[in-house]
Amino acid sequence: MYLRQPARLLRLHFSERDRYDGVPLYEAIVATCRKLGIAGVTVLRGMQGYGESAELHKHRILAHDQPITAAIVESTENIDRLLPEIEKMLDTGMIAISDVEMVRVRNGDAQPETAA
Amino acid sequence: MLSQGAAKKVTIYVNEDVHLHGDSLWDAILRFLRNKHVAGATVLRPVAGFGAHGTVHSSAGEIHAGHMPMRIEFIDTAEKVDEVLPTLYEMVIDGLVEVQDTNIVKAVARGGKQEAHLPHAEIKGPAKLIRIYLGESDKLKGEPLFEAIVKRLMMMEVAGATVYRGILGYGAKRHQHKETVFRLSKDCPIMISVVDRANRVDEIMGAVAPMMVDGLIVISDVEVHRFVHALPEQQKVTNVS
Repeated sequence: MYLRQPARLLRLHFSERDRYDGVPLYEAIVATCRKLGIAGVTVLRGMQGYGESAELHKHRILAHDQPITAAIVESTENIDRLLPEIEKMLDTGMIAISDVEMVRVRNGDAQPETAA
Repeated sequence: MLSQGAAKKVTIYVNEDVHLHGDSLWDAILRFLRNKHVAGATVLRPVAGFGAHGTVHSSAGEIHAGHMPMRIEFIDTAEKVDEVLPTLYEMVIDGLVEVQDTNIVKAVARGGKQEAHLPHAEIKGPAKLIRIYLGESDKLKGEPLFEAIVKRLMMMEVAGATVYRGILGYGAKRHQHKETVFRLSKDCPIMISVVDRANRVDEIMGAVAPMMVDGLIVISDVEVHRFVHALPEQQKVTNVS
Protein backbone atom coordinates (compact mmCIF):
# COMPACT_ATOMS: atom_id res chain seq x y z
CA MET A 1 0.00 0.00 0.00
CA TYR A 2 2.68 2.44 1.01
CA LEU A 3 5.71 2.44 -1.22
CA ARG A 4 8.89 1.66 0.60
CA GLN A 5 11.98 3.09 -0.97
CA PRO A 6 15.59 2.54 0.01
CA ALA A 7 17.26 5.47 1.74
CA ARG A 8 20.00 6.23 4.19
CA LEU A 9 19.76 7.40 7.74
CA LEU A 10 22.54 9.67 8.89
CA ARG A 11 22.92 10.21 12.62
CA LEU A 12 25.25 12.76 14.12
CA HIS A 13 26.15 12.58 17.77
CA PHE A 14 27.64 15.58 19.54
CA SER A 15 27.17 17.84 22.52
CA GLU A 16 24.71 20.62 23.09
CA ARG A 17 27.67 22.78 24.02
CA ASP A 18 29.37 22.43 20.64
CA ARG A 19 29.31 25.63 18.62
CA TYR A 20 30.04 26.49 15.03
CA ASP A 21 30.46 30.00 13.74
CA GLY A 22 29.07 31.49 16.90
CA VAL A 23 25.82 29.51 16.94
CA PRO A 24 25.01 26.14 18.50
CA LEU A 25 26.27 23.37 16.25
CA TYR A 26 22.85 21.81 15.90
CA GLU A 27 21.44 25.07 14.59
CA ALA A 28 24.32 25.38 12.15
CA ILE A 29 23.72 21.82 10.94
CA VAL A 30 20.02 22.46 10.39
CA ALA A 31 20.91 25.61 8.44
CA THR A 32 23.40 23.70 6.29
CA CYS A 33 20.85 21.00 5.56
CA ARG A 34 18.39 23.63 4.47
CA LYS A 35 20.98 25.32 2.27
CA LEU A 36 21.78 22.03 0.54
CA GLY A 37 18.09 21.24 0.03
CA ILE A 38 18.05 18.22 2.32
CA ALA A 39 14.48 16.97 2.80
CA GLY A 40 14.46 17.15 6.58
CA VAL A 41 16.38 16.92 9.79
CA THR A 42 15.38 16.23 13.38
CA VAL A 43 17.49 17.21 16.36
CA LEU A 44 16.93 15.19 19.53
CA ARG A 45 18.32 15.97 22.95
CA GLY A 46 19.38 13.06 25.10
CA MET A 47 19.11 12.93 28.87
CA GLN A 48 22.65 11.95 29.60
CA GLY A 49 25.62 10.41 27.88
CA TYR A 50 29.32 10.35 27.34
CA GLY A 51 31.56 10.13 24.35
CA GLU A 52 35.06 10.75 23.16
CA SER A 53 36.24 12.83 26.08
CA ALA A 54 34.68 10.41 28.58
CA GLU A 55 33.17 13.44 30.21
CA LEU A 56 29.60 13.04 31.31
CA HIS A 57 27.21 15.25 29.39
CA LYS A 58 24.20 16.15 31.43
CA HIS A 59 21.88 18.99 32.18
CA ARG A 60 23.21 21.54 34.57
CA ILE A 61 21.25 24.55 35.59
CA LEU A 62 23.42 27.03 33.77
CA ALA A 63 25.49 25.01 31.34
CA HIS A 64 23.39 23.19 28.79
CA ASP A 65 25.52 20.19 28.00
CA GLN A 66 23.29 17.33 27.07
CA PRO A 67 24.00 14.88 24.24
CA ILE A 68 22.48 15.82 20.90
CA THR A 69 21.53 13.54 18.02
CA ALA A 70 20.67 14.95 14.63
CA ALA A 71 18.93 12.51 12.29
CA ILE A 72 18.63 12.96 8.55
CA VAL A 73 16.86 10.60 6.16
CA GLU A 74 17.78 11.10 2.54
CA SER A 75 18.81 9.39 -0.69
CA THR A 76 22.37 8.08 -0.96
CA GLU A 77 23.32 10.92 -3.35
CA ASN A 78 22.08 13.64 -1.04
CA ILE A 79 23.76 12.06 1.98
CA ASP A 80 27.02 11.89 0.01
CA ARG A 81 26.60 15.55 -0.89
CA LEU A 82 25.94 16.53 2.72
CA LEU A 83 28.64 14.46 4.42
CA PRO A 84 31.71 16.52 3.45
CA GLU A 85 29.99 19.69 4.68
CA ILE A 86 29.08 18.06 7.99
CA GLU A 87 32.55 16.64 8.46
CA LYS A 88 33.94 20.16 8.22
CA MET A 89 31.61 21.38 10.95
CA LEU A 90 31.88 18.50 13.39
CA ASP A 91 34.88 18.98 15.62
CA THR A 92 34.43 16.03 17.92
CA GLY A 93 31.54 13.67 17.70
CA MET A 94 30.34 10.72 15.76
CA ILE A 95 28.63 10.09 12.46
CA ALA A 96 26.64 6.89 11.92
CA ILE A 97 25.10 5.91 8.60
CA SER A 98 22.64 3.08 8.12
CA ASP A 99 20.59 1.73 5.26
CA VAL A 100 16.87 2.03 5.85
CA GLU A 101 13.59 1.79 4.06
CA MET A 102 11.67 5.03 3.83
CA VAL A 103 7.96 5.74 3.46
CA ARG A 104 6.84 9.25 2.70
CA VAL A 105 3.35 9.79 4.04
CA ARG A 106 1.47 12.39 2.08
CA ASN A 107 -2.17 12.21 2.94
CA GLY A 108 -2.24 15.86 1.96
CA ASP A 109 -5.39 17.87 2.47
CA ALA A 110 -7.57 14.81 2.85
CA GLN A 111 -7.79 15.58 6.56
CA PRO A 112 -8.41 19.22 7.31
CA GLU A 113 -7.15 19.01 10.88
CA THR A 114 -3.51 19.63 10.22
CA ALA A 115 -0.98 21.78 11.93
CA ALA A 116 -0.79 25.24 10.48
CA MET B 1 -5.74 -15.27 32.46
CA LEU B 2 -7.87 -14.46 29.45
CA SER B 3 -6.34 -13.03 26.30
CA GLN B 4 -7.65 -10.65 23.69
CA GLY B 5 -10.03 -12.08 21.11
CA ALA B 6 -13.06 -14.29 20.81
CA ALA B 7 -14.56 -15.75 23.97
CA LYS B 8 -17.87 -16.91 25.38
CA LYS B 9 -20.03 -15.19 27.94
CA VAL B 10 -22.40 -17.28 30.00
CA THR B 11 -25.28 -15.78 31.93
CA ILE B 12 -27.31 -17.82 34.39
CA TYR B 13 -30.57 -16.65 35.95
CA VAL B 14 -31.76 -18.39 39.08
CA ASN B 15 -33.84 -17.54 42.09
CA GLU B 16 -32.16 -16.61 45.32
CA ASP B 17 -34.13 -19.16 47.31
CA VAL B 18 -33.49 -22.16 45.13
CA HIS B 19 -31.30 -24.63 46.97
CA LEU B 20 -29.07 -27.44 45.89
CA HIS B 21 -27.86 -29.96 48.47
CA GLY B 22 -28.60 -27.50 51.27
CA ASP B 23 -26.79 -24.54 49.69
CA SER B 24 -28.08 -21.60 47.73
CA LEU B 25 -27.94 -22.55 44.09
CA TRP B 26 -26.10 -19.38 43.12
CA ASP B 27 -23.49 -20.06 45.77
CA ALA B 28 -23.10 -23.66 44.63
CA ILE B 29 -22.65 -22.49 41.02
CA LEU B 30 -20.09 -19.91 42.03
CA ARG B 31 -18.07 -22.46 43.98
CA PHE B 32 -18.28 -24.93 41.12
CA LEU B 33 -16.93 -22.31 38.68
CA ARG B 34 -14.13 -21.49 41.05
CA ASN B 35 -13.15 -25.14 41.39
CA LYS B 36 -13.08 -25.42 37.63
CA HIS B 37 -10.69 -22.42 37.47
CA VAL B 38 -12.99 -20.29 35.38
CA ALA B 39 -11.29 -16.91 34.73
CA GLY B 40 -13.83 -15.02 36.86
CA ALA B 41 -17.51 -14.90 37.71
CA THR B 42 -19.85 -12.25 39.06
CA VAL B 43 -23.12 -12.69 40.92
CA LEU B 44 -25.53 -9.80 40.58
CA ARG B 45 -28.66 -9.13 42.56
CA PRO B 46 -30.98 -7.01 40.45
CA VAL B 47 -33.56 -4.49 41.60
CA ALA B 48 -36.52 -6.37 40.22
CA GLY B 49 -37.51 -9.00 37.71
CA PHE B 50 -39.88 -11.73 36.77
CA GLY B 51 -39.41 -15.15 35.28
CA ALA B 52 -41.10 -18.37 34.37
CA HIS B 53 -43.45 -18.17 37.30
CA GLY B 54 -44.82 -14.78 36.22
CA THR B 55 -44.43 -13.16 39.64
CA VAL B 56 -42.64 -9.83 39.87
CA HIS B 57 -39.87 -10.01 42.45
CA SER B 58 -38.63 -6.65 43.62
CA SER B 59 -36.24 -5.67 46.36
CA ALA B 60 -38.86 -3.50 48.04
CA GLY B 61 -41.15 -6.34 49.00
CA GLU B 62 -38.77 -9.24 49.16
CA ILE B 63 -35.94 -8.39 51.49
CA HIS B 64 -37.11 -10.95 53.97
CA ALA B 65 -38.65 -13.39 51.55
CA GLY B 66 -35.31 -13.83 49.74
CA HIS B 67 -37.03 -14.66 46.49
CA MET B 68 -35.04 -12.28 44.30
CA PRO B 69 -33.73 -13.17 40.87
CA MET B 70 -29.95 -13.72 40.83
CA ARG B 71 -27.77 -13.37 37.82
CA ILE B 72 -24.41 -15.14 37.55
CA GLU B 73 -22.16 -14.26 34.66
CA PHE B 74 -18.74 -15.31 33.56
CA ILE B 75 -16.51 -15.03 30.52
CA ASP B 76 -14.03 -17.64 29.40
CA THR B 77 -12.71 -19.43 26.34
CA ALA B 78 -15.03 -21.60 24.25
CA GLU B 79 -13.26 -24.76 25.44
CA LYS B 80 -13.67 -23.86 29.10
CA VAL B 81 -17.33 -23.04 28.60
CA ASP B 82 -17.88 -26.37 26.84
CA GLU B 83 -16.23 -28.07 29.78
CA VAL B 84 -18.42 -26.55 32.47
CA LEU B 85 -21.71 -26.28 30.58
CA PRO B 86 -22.92 -29.91 31.02
CA THR B 87 -22.60 -29.65 34.79
CA LEU B 88 -24.28 -26.24 34.85
CA TYR B 89 -27.08 -27.70 32.76
CA GLU B 90 -27.60 -30.29 35.46
CA MET B 91 -27.27 -27.86 38.38
CA VAL B 92 -29.77 -25.26 37.20
CA ILE B 93 -32.96 -27.03 38.19
CA ASP B 94 -35.01 -23.83 38.06
CA GLY B 95 -33.82 -20.95 35.92
CA LEU B 96 -32.16 -20.13 32.64
CA VAL B 97 -28.70 -20.54 31.12
CA GLU B 98 -27.58 -18.42 28.20
CA VAL B 99 -24.34 -18.48 26.19
CA GLN B 100 -23.23 -15.74 23.83
CA ASP B 101 -20.21 -15.04 21.71
CA THR B 102 -18.19 -12.12 22.88
CA ASN B 103 -14.93 -10.40 22.17
CA ILE B 104 -12.38 -9.61 24.82
CA VAL B 105 -10.81 -6.23 24.24
CA LYS B 106 -8.67 -6.09 27.32
CA ALA B 107 -8.04 -8.43 30.19
CA VAL B 108 -5.43 -7.45 32.73
CA ALA B 109 -4.80 -8.44 36.30
CA ARG B 110 -2.84 -6.33 38.73
CA GLY B 111 -1.21 -7.72 41.78
CA GLY B 112 -2.86 -10.95 42.78
CA LYS B 113 -1.01 -14.20 42.92
CA GLN B 114 2.70 -13.78 42.33
CA GLU B 115 4.10 -15.99 39.59
CA ALA B 116 7.18 -17.92 40.49
CA HIS B 117 10.18 -15.75 39.76
CA LEU B 118 11.81 -17.18 36.69
CA PRO B 119 15.33 -16.23 35.71
CA HIS B 120 15.63 -13.44 33.16
CA ALA B 121 15.01 -14.70 29.70
CA GLU B 122 16.70 -13.22 26.70
CA ILE B 123 14.99 -13.11 23.35
CA LYS B 124 17.33 -12.63 20.45
CA GLY B 125 16.57 -12.31 16.81
CA PRO B 126 16.14 -10.05 13.85
CA ALA B 127 13.38 -7.47 14.09
CA LYS B 128 12.41 -4.16 12.53
CA LEU B 129 12.79 -0.71 13.95
CA ILE B 130 10.25 1.78 12.68
CA ARG B 131 10.82 5.48 13.22
CA ILE B 132 7.89 7.78 12.68
CA TYR B 133 8.58 11.49 12.26
CA LEU B 134 5.86 14.04 12.83
CA GLY B 135 5.21 17.43 14.41
CA GLU B 136 4.15 17.97 17.98
CA SER B 137 1.28 20.19 16.90
CA ASP B 138 -0.14 17.59 14.51
CA LYS B 139 -3.57 16.58 15.66
CA LEU B 140 -6.02 13.81 14.99
CA LYS B 141 -9.60 14.63 15.94
CA GLY B 142 -8.36 17.17 18.47
CA GLU B 143 -5.92 14.80 20.14
CA PRO B 144 -2.16 15.11 19.74
CA LEU B 145 -1.21 12.81 16.87
CA PHE B 146 1.68 11.18 18.69
CA GLU B 147 -0.62 10.21 21.54
CA ALA B 148 -3.18 8.84 19.15
CA ILE B 149 -0.49 6.79 17.40
CA VAL B 150 0.88 5.36 20.65
CA LYS B 151 -2.62 4.45 21.83
CA ARG B 152 -3.30 2.74 18.53
CA LEU B 153 -0.04 0.80 18.75
CA MET B 154 -0.88 -0.25 22.30
CA MET B 155 -4.26 -1.54 21.19
CA MET B 156 -2.56 -3.52 18.44
CA GLU B 157 -0.34 -5.02 21.14
CA VAL B 158 2.75 -3.83 19.37
CA ALA B 159 5.77 -4.78 21.45
CA GLY B 160 6.70 -1.23 22.42
CA ALA B 161 6.94 2.39 21.36
CA THR B 162 8.90 5.37 22.60
CA VAL B 163 8.16 9.01 21.83
CA TYR B 164 11.07 11.41 21.51
CA ARG B 165 10.68 15.14 21.45
CA GLY B 166 13.19 16.93 19.28
CA ILE B 167 14.50 20.39 19.93
CA LEU B 168 14.96 21.60 16.39
CA GLY B 169 14.21 20.42 12.90
CA TYR B 170 12.39 20.85 9.67
CA GLY B 171 10.70 18.49 7.28
CA ALA B 172 8.01 18.16 4.69
CA LYS B 173 6.32 21.43 5.47
CA ARG B 174 9.60 23.34 5.31
CA HIS B 175 8.88 25.27 8.46
CA GLN B 176 11.23 25.12 11.31
CA HIS B 177 10.20 23.49 14.57
CA LYS B 178 12.10 25.08 17.35
CA GLU B 179 12.22 24.90 21.08
CA THR B 180 11.89 28.19 22.93
CA VAL B 181 14.18 29.37 25.69
CA PHE B 182 12.00 27.99 28.45
CA ARG B 183 11.61 24.63 26.76
CA LEU B 184 7.88 25.04 26.53
CA SER B 185 7.41 25.25 22.79
CA LYS B 186 4.44 23.31 21.51
CA ASP B 187 5.70 22.69 18.01
CA CYS B 188 8.79 20.58 18.31
CA PRO B 189 9.60 17.66 16.06
CA ILE B 190 8.46 14.29 17.40
CA MET B 191 9.97 10.92 16.66
CA ILE B 192 8.26 7.70 17.68
CA SER B 193 10.35 4.58 17.58
CA VAL B 194 8.70 1.18 17.45
CA VAL B 195 10.33 -2.23 17.50
CA ASP B 196 8.49 -5.35 16.47
CA ARG B 197 8.72 -8.48 14.37
CA ALA B 198 9.32 -8.05 10.64
CA ASN B 199 5.99 -9.63 9.76
CA ARG B 200 4.11 -6.92 11.66
CA VAL B 201 5.58 -3.98 9.77
CA ASP B 202 2.89 -3.88 7.10
CA GLU B 203 0.15 -4.08 9.70
CA ILE B 204 1.73 -1.25 11.71
CA MET B 205 2.25 0.88 8.62
CA GLY B 206 -1.32 0.26 7.52
CA ALA B 207 -2.57 1.54 10.86
CA VAL B 208 -0.24 4.48 11.38
CA ALA B 209 0.17 5.95 7.90
CA PRO B 210 -3.52 6.80 7.38
CA MET B 211 -3.52 8.69 10.70
CA MET B 212 -0.77 11.00 9.55
CA VAL B 213 -1.22 13.97 7.30
CA ASP B 214 2.35 14.56 6.36
CA GLY B 215 5.37 12.84 7.66
CA LEU B 216 8.03 10.28 7.28
CA ILE B 217 8.33 6.68 8.32
CA VAL B 218 11.70 4.97 8.27
CA ILE B 219 12.16 1.23 8.63
CA SER B 220 15.44 -0.44 9.43
CA ASP B 221 16.65 -3.91 10.30
CA VAL B 222 17.72 -4.42 13.87
CA GLU B 223 18.83 -7.22 16.06
CA VAL B 224 16.76 -7.59 19.21
CA HIS B 225 18.19 -8.60 22.53
CA ARG B 226 15.30 -8.43 24.86
CA PHE B 227 15.51 -9.15 28.53
CA VAL B 228 12.28 -10.06 30.19
CA HIS B 229 11.07 -11.17 33.55
CA ALA B 230 9.12 -14.39 34.01
CA LEU B 231 7.92 -14.91 30.50
CA PRO B 232 4.48 -16.50 30.12
CA GLU B 233 4.85 -20.02 28.73
CA GLN B 234 2.96 -19.58 25.47
CA GLN B 235 4.93 -16.52 24.42
CA LYS B 236 8.30 -18.09 24.86
CA VAL B 237 8.43 -19.69 21.47
CA THR B 238 7.04 -17.17 19.07
CA ASN B 239 8.07 -13.77 20.28
CA VAL B 240 10.59 -12.89 17.66
CA SER B 241 10.47 -14.45 14.23
